[in-house]
Amino acid sequence: MSSEGIFITGLGIISPLGRGLPSTIHALKNPVSGIHSADLFNVAVDQIMPVADVTVPFPTEPGVPRTHALALVAARDAMEGRKAPPDAIVIGVTTGGMPKSEQLLGSKIVSPQEYVYHGAGTVATYLAEHVSCTGPAFTLSTACSSGTAAIKIALEMLRRGKAKSVLVGGADALCRFTYFGFFSLQLIDPKGARPLDRDRAGISLGEGAAMLLLESAPTPPQGSIAQILGGGISCDAYHPTAPHPKGEGALKAMQDAIADAGIRAVDIGYINLHGTATLDNDASEATALRTLYLDRIPSVSSTKGMTGHSLGAAGAVECAISALSVSEELIPANTGCVNPDASLGLPVVLKPESRPVKIALSNSFGFGGNNAAVVIGSVDLPVPVRQRTCPMSLQVTGLACLTGSGGTDDSFQKFSQGVHVTGVLSDEEVSKDLPQRQVRRLKRTSRMALALATAARKDAGGSDCPSSVFFGTGWGPLTETYDFLTKLFGSDMKFSSPTDFINSVHNAPAGQVAMELKAHGANITATGGDYSFEQALFIASLLTSEKDNLLLLGADEMHPELSLLFDPSSAGDTTPSDGGGAIMAVATDSPEGPAITPVAYRMAPGNTGSAPMIDPGIIKDIDRRYGALFVGIPLAYEVAARAQVKSFLTYSKFSGPVVDYRKYTGQYATSAAVATVLAVKAIKRGSLPAILTGKQEVSLSGKGILVMGFGPYCTAIDVRNHNRGVHAP
Amino acid sequence: MEEVRPEKASIGKSSNGKASIGSSPIEKLIDELKKKVLDILNIQDVSLSDIDSNAPMVGNELGIDSIDILELVTVIEQDYGVRIDNKELGRKVFASFTSLAQYIADHRTS
Repeated sequence: MSSEGIFITGLGIISPLGRGLPSTIHALKNPVSGIHSADLFNVAVDQIMPVADVTVPFPTEPGVPRTHALALVAARDAMEGRKAPPDAIVIGVTTGGMPKSEQLLGSKIVSPQEYVYHGAGTVATYLAEHVSCTGPAFTLSTACSSGTAAIKIALEMLRRGKAKSVLVGGADALCRFTYFGFFSLQLIDPKGARPLDRDRAGISLGEGAAMLLLESAPTPPQGSIAQILGGGISCDAYHPTAPHPKGEGALKAMQDAIADAGIRAVDIGYINLHGTATLDNDASEATALRTLYLDRIPSVSSTKGMTGHSLGAAGAVECAISALSVSEELIPANTGCVNPDASLGLPVVLKPESRPVKIALSNSFGFGGNNAAVVIGSVDLPVPVRQRTCPMSLQVTGLACLTGSGGTDDSFQKFSQGVHVTGVLSDEEVSKDLPQRQVRRLKRTSRMALALATAARKDAGGSDCPSSVFFGTGWGPLTETYDFLTKLFGSDMKFSSPTDFINSVHNAPAGQVAMELKAHGANITATGGDYSFEQALFIASLLTSEKDNLLLLGADEMHPELSLLFDPSSAGDTTPSDGGGAIMAVATDSPEGPAITPVAYRMAPGNTGSAPMIDPGIIKDIDRRYGALFVGIPLAYEVAARAQVKSFLTYSKFSGPVVDYRKYTGQYATSAAVATVLAVKAIKRGSLPAILTGKQEVSLSGKGILVMGFGPYCTAIDVRNHNRGVHAP
Repeated sequence: MEEVRPEKASIGKSSNGKASIGSSPIEKLIDELKKKVLDILNIQDVSLSDIDSNAPMVGNELGIDSIDILELVTVIEQDYGVRIDNKELGRKVFASFTSLAQYIADHRTS
């Protein structure tokens, strides 16, 4: 049993309410809406919609996008007075560097060096560099639930002993992409967001960042603000954008969070709603609450009438507000609502109230049916006693990959013959086994994800559907991103495609997969350049429990223009390539048969890849444990990465074959997904052919393959056939 | 709010309500819209002659949903200069191909 609590020991927030805790608390006590009419993007008069922008001045660096700058302000404030860096960073982001990239693309600037901050994952690495964090820096991109989902992942990282302190939060800045995207969906209220009002007519977009420093400790560390008691993540698996009409996914996320916290629903004194002020969201969330509580719903409010909807930041901002509700004994008002919609049946708080709140719940729901909820308790509550949990291994039940050579069998056959599987399949070939109706409005990345998911499930026997889906993508759906912006800029900002908008979000492919496989559990999309698949795997090992069925995916598309601008490795490749891999698995801490286990993820120490990057226990017996290393060397970091490999081999004294897998797969962010699938295939076959080892055939009997990534981060995945009685790493 | 006047569209409609290669301007517009919808929404398994001009556009064998309707809203504004900027109006206009054609015919600027 474990009796360590997870405490919020630092809190940084910058939002339309101001910067820092005193300003935010003052605004919550004296609510004034941050939503106002502003022509941020020089649009036509009839397109000017109210927004909630950050108006307080904050430091920025030249060339760094606004999202990164906002995130850093919140991170620095959360870390104020700390000397030790956090062990890890987990943040939710949707558009990342888009505020800058869209301007560059609109101006037809084609210098790749201008786009180094484009990736949503670059916000986390930017923070890591500034707060000297050398551990994992993970980025969740599950649309509007990102910030809340990040907190649940950080919670599990701490509970499962992978970190003692985690800087967690969310950040998003206003940009044309989301402004016109939501405009095209007719989801913006021209009068400003009025959550829960009978006349509500949509959202107001906002921006901001909030960061929480979480620490695990048996008693509250000095300066603790509140504690995170539990979290729940679910997926509607119902529609790409609309919430389930009965709020089934929302209900499941809340129920899971409450169970995870070890409390009863009636123990909650305040609920910070997702409350976007769209007709559908507020109705669906209210239905879920009525189902959960019948007629005893605690005080609720949506604070989006003050802050606007800051997408990936929203969950973190609202968890911060919920923590302040608990620490300041304050129930924030549902600003913007004049005539509460009686049909919702919610006890909405219209004016701020001063009274003790021991436990608060914060809800966030997003596109792709992605839902998350977090339970926050006051510092003086007893620390919950919990069963000790550990990160899971993934026992493989089915496999699939897509490469320039085709599907799994074609790819593995060629790879085994030492033949490259580089290249780009046509969209039609990618989705040849999927019904046309299903893919008619999906472009490349979503088609890849669906094709991979379907094939992996078929390989697993086709019976069980996974409950949860973990998807890693370096760049998300690039075709939709490109097409959306092309239409927008090509029409002088008059027209954009709502279909491209909703399918452009990083988590759209995973949402499609969840709908196809009816996967109602956690639905996570992680992004971090060349290490995105590894992030998804690590998160899967943290969010699943014994015997959970899950699907792990990684996919990236080669876009003829954007890949060349965003991904320097892809741009330098002689043969343009893309693809991905999928693994159906059962989570377990004692696998039988082929399984994959994440064993390392950290920033390359001084880019030398030496001593501390991987568990000394694994290195000690490396020749006995591993028959081969598959190493990923991103072209953009080739010199440094090769030096890291050399250093690692010297240090570990590994004497077996080293396969430079990107030579075979081509250079794309999630080539590690393909390498992992090929490694499992090789393990199942029991040997690695001479053509790959460069010497003779290598037996994999009793030995695994270590799939490693090098470059700015060093990662390692243990792939092996576990036999009864043989100790797993 | 503008009212949709579907009765106008009945002129020249074939008796079974299905598309016929009509010669009246409204019939031509209906055919043009059907082609456009199949093309924009990438619906490949339905032929023009299978589409009933008076049947509901959403929730039938075409498989059109609310996202598709929003996509069509953009295209119709772009191609005909006709703006359908709220869901209530959208529900009336997109009741059928006939009502859509009629609304466009009554409001088009291009």
